Amino acid sequence: METFEVLREIIVDKFDKDPDEVRLDSTLETLEIDSLDTFDIIFDAEEKFGIKVPNEEVAITTVGDVVALIDRIRSKEK
Amino acid sequence: MRRVVVTGIGAITPLGHSPELLFQNLMAGKSGIRHLQTAFAESLDCKLAAWIDDFDPLVYFSKNQAATMDRTTQFSVAASHKAIEDAKLELTSENCERIGVYLGSGMVGANSIEEGYSRLFRDGAKRLKPYTVLMSMNNAASAQVALDFGLLGPDITFCTACSSSAVAIGEAVRQIRHGYTDVMLAGGAESLLTHGTMKAWEALRTLANEDEEKPETSCKPFSLNRTGLILGEGAAMFVLEEMDRAIARGAHIYGEIIGYGTSNDSAHITQPSVDGQTRAMRHALQDAGITADVVDYINAHGTGTKLNDAVETAAIKEVIGDKTPVSSTKSMHGHLMGASSAVEFAVCLMAIKHQAIPPTANLATPDPELDLDYVPNLGRHHVKVDVVMSNSFAFGGTGGVLIAGKV
Repeated sequence: METFEVLREIIVDKFDKDPDEVRLDSTLETLEIDSLDTFDIIFDAEEKFGIKVPNEEVAITTVGDVVALIDRIRSKEK
Repeated sequence: MRRVVVTGIGAITPLGHSPELLFQNLMAGKSGIRHLQTAFAESLDCKLAAWIDDFDPLVYFSKNQAATMDRTTQFSVAASHKAIEDAKLELTSENCERIGVYLGSGMVGANSIEEGYSRLFRDGAKRLKPYTVLMSMNNAASAQVALDFGLLGPDITFCTACSSSAVAIGEAVRQIRHGYTDVMLAGGAESLLTHGTMKAWEALRTLANEDEEKPETSCKPFSLNRTGLILGEGAAMFVLEEMDRAIARGAHIYGEIIGYGTSNDSAHITQPSVDGQTRAMRHALQDAGITADVVDYINAHGTGTKLNDAVETAAIKEVIGDKTPVSSTKSMHGHLMGASSAVEFAVCLMAIKHQAIPPTANLATPDPELDLDYVPNLGRHHVKVDVVMSNSFAFGGTGGVLIAGKV
């Protein structure tokens, strides 16, 4: 499954969001997702994809930023 | 000295989610004790608990909020909502600076700690969920209450085992009395019916043997055939308010908290002491400025263990005498640990409201050594209940005694 689709599913399920609200360019702020919730989303994505996102400074503003981060790890771990 | 009254009560208990329902059930002698319906129950010697099966967190929280709070915290916030609603308390950004929360609990994150350890040690998981610390930490419950209502005053968690919430309430009274705050949300919550915690309690040999004929009667305080306590879960929170403020806004007043006493046994980590218990009760009477004869009802700590009930009986006799009715409602709602004092204090306020005294259930075989009026099996209606005392004595030795009076 596409990273974005999985991520959208996680966000929709966790935060009771309308799927149409969750787009690549949606900012986490407008979705009312704070930094702690972002860790929580990344944790779920790690479980889902069997990856480990290392602790590093990554600027995350949008859903697309999280997708890019996860895709980068997925391609590295392949 | 500023006086402190109770203007709101919220309760989530094994015998109903309101103080009225709880009291009605206790007066009817109903028990919230029954078999646990969990997979691990089979591994327990005592498979009983006073557990709650009709609490739906989604009534109070969004799905994500609920997923980031331990059950103890969910109970705390839910009971606080009920208390604030009951008090018709208006919260504004101005008055919240002088409103705080004091909450007592034995182990706030019991469920979250167990879940985390299970993942790690049993399931071989490589990492834990990001919210694990924030769900497990002991101050999570009071912090979430403060966050939920925007309370800006003091927020402190009291952890003195089975007297935690008596101490939380008593210390909150002092906050208002001494003028630091005008209103306090105070009480306690507990939810520790997990596999690990129950096995730990089992090892202490303080849990009751199951009454095979009638499991719901297994906790038998003050009776000859008492064998121990039954663990329970739940919460009770109170809106405590400076009396003039409460009167000025026309609030309903359940009663005034007139006395609070606390002391430590400093004798033994588990065994209670007559000396320690009498000291806590005397402190409370002194604080209230009353003599023992005006106390109309005592809600005993009354765990149903051999030692507690004997020691508490001796202590009550020494301080209060042998005429005052004493009952242990733990026989029905179980021992809610850190929440027990708060739930029992709610029972005391209902006793004042209804001028009625709940019974000690399951007292069919009196212990000849224990000779107080334990209100055996049948509650009493239409009696004068103007002053009540609520006793709590804990492992670790901290006693907490609250006295409330009719206003």
